[in-house]
Amino acid sequence: MQIDFRDITKEYEQQVKALDNISFGIERGEFVFIVGESGAGKTTLIKLLIKEEEPTAGQILFDDVDLSAILKDDISQLRRRVGVVFQDFKLLESKDVFENVAIALDVVDSNDDVIKNVVPNVLSLVGLTHKMHSPPSKLSGGEKQRVSIARALAHEPDVLIADEPTGMIDPKSAMEIMEILEKINSLGTTVVMATHNRDIVDSFKKRVIRLEKGKIISDKKKGTYAQ
Amino acid sequence: MHNKYIKNAFNNIKKEKLLSITNIIVMGITFLLLGVFLSVVVLTQTVLRDFERQAQVTIFFKDEIPENKILEIETKLKSDERIFATNYISKEEAFNIFKELNKDDPVLLESVTSSILPASLEVQAKDLSSLPRLAEEFKGLDGVEEVRFFEDVISRFKKFSTVVYSIGFVLVFLFLVISYAVVLSTLRMTINSKGVELEIIKLVGARNSYVKMPLMYQGLFYGFISSLISGFILFVIIIVLSKLGNFPASFGVGFFPNLSISHFVFAILLWLILIISGCVLGYFGSLFAVKKYLKY
Repeated sequence: MQIDFRDITKEYEQQVKALDNISFGIERGEFVFIVGESGAGKTTLIKLLIKEEEPTAGQILFDDVDLSAILKDDISQLRRRVGVVFQDFKLLESKDVFENVAIALDVVDSNDDVIKNVVPNVLSLVGLTHKMHSPPSKLSGGEKQRVSIARALAHEPDVLIADEPTGMIDPKSAMEIMEILEKINSLGTTVVMATHNRDIVDSFKKRVIRLEKGKIISDKKKGTYAQ
Repeated sequence: MHNKYIKNAFNNIKKEKLLSITNIIVMGITFLLLGVFLSVVVLTQTVLRDFERQAQVTIFFKDEIPENKILEIETKLKSDERIFATNYISKEEAFNIFKELNKDDPVLLESVTSSILPASLEVQAKDLSSLPRLAEEFKGLDGVEEVRFFEDVISRFKKFSTVVYSIGFVLVFLFLVISYAVVLSTLRMTINSKGVELEIIKLVGARNSYVKMPLMYQGLFYGFISSLISGFILFVIIIVLSKLGNFPASFGVGFFPNLSISHFVFAILLWLILIISGCVLGYFGSLFAVKKYLKY
């Protein structure tokens, strides 16, 4: 899936511009870091990508389909093509690991056989087969984030969007998460990751789009956090 | 598709046993109070209706009118839709009543014979307000000596009963609003308690129907079970009390003078009203409560 941001501006109340007329494109299969300090506009950009919010001006195209043309009732269709990993994991506390992953398939009406087949596979991809029936409360931060990634991958999305996925976990777990994301990317899934973790960005040598006060101040093919 | 939503609803109910029981108890008590309140209002109005029917017009006939002529008039009146009941009092019966009323005054009794008391017809109307008009009509009948009814008392009573009926209806309406509000907030609290979960499910790609339908079925279940139980309790209470003879013969409802229903029919109607309220409130109340989580 190719993604195009064209002249996107997002204004909140009192005319605060979270994003100010930004344009960029992401090719199919790319791995892109969106970096910047807190308040730079990273989370807003992610929210626009999953249509949790609407831009004030401009167009976002997914394979030439304008997101603003997608009706409210069809947002679920879009979200099935895009897997999302959240900083705060967003796991269902009342369900175990298996059920948390299965929900992504259940909402798209997959039958029980598919669920029983796919869930162990994606849990094995993130190395959590042994914790399949544990509740989220018994998992570490890194493990919770791996469940969140497994859930995002369950319906084989074209794009994986990760909003600060290492923000609430220790450095060792953060590296493990990055290795999983890199592996997913190598299998052909586009990965867009918002972060302000300098070490991670510097060590992976991927494309880096740097935001500052809602504007793109650099966009490098093999960039670092600073440049 | 709906089978899956129903299955999810029952899974939720099983998982949230304590919450489900609490919801059913709170909603059940609300429906029970609503039912008791409706019954009290109907009972009050039935009693008033009974009083109204006891108000009557008495037609006194001239001495020369033979009994069969009066009975003919009575038969004609009985077929009038506005008339609830008639009662013929012959000269002899009038004398007996007179004797009973004045049994402590032998001097008075000696001076009166049955021949000087007039025969009469007592007429009760279905609707109190038709009494004055009926009285006017009776005055025009052949052989009528005098038509008597207590117009002032009846008009005052009519005003009073209209006020009581109106207050009854307003109170029923208010209590309906209150009990509906209680049920809606109970459902709202249940749904709010899983707000984060609903947002997450939406964010992983669920359709609106996937989020709302199980909750609507859950609400429908709570509403149905709680109203079924409270309706059953009221049904038993009404039937037992009516068997013990604690109620008037049948129930009447305020502004509908001709409406008269048996205890059994009333109990069934009340039960049905509660069940319909329970189902409608549970189903649509949940939809109302879940709406804010569908915007993600």
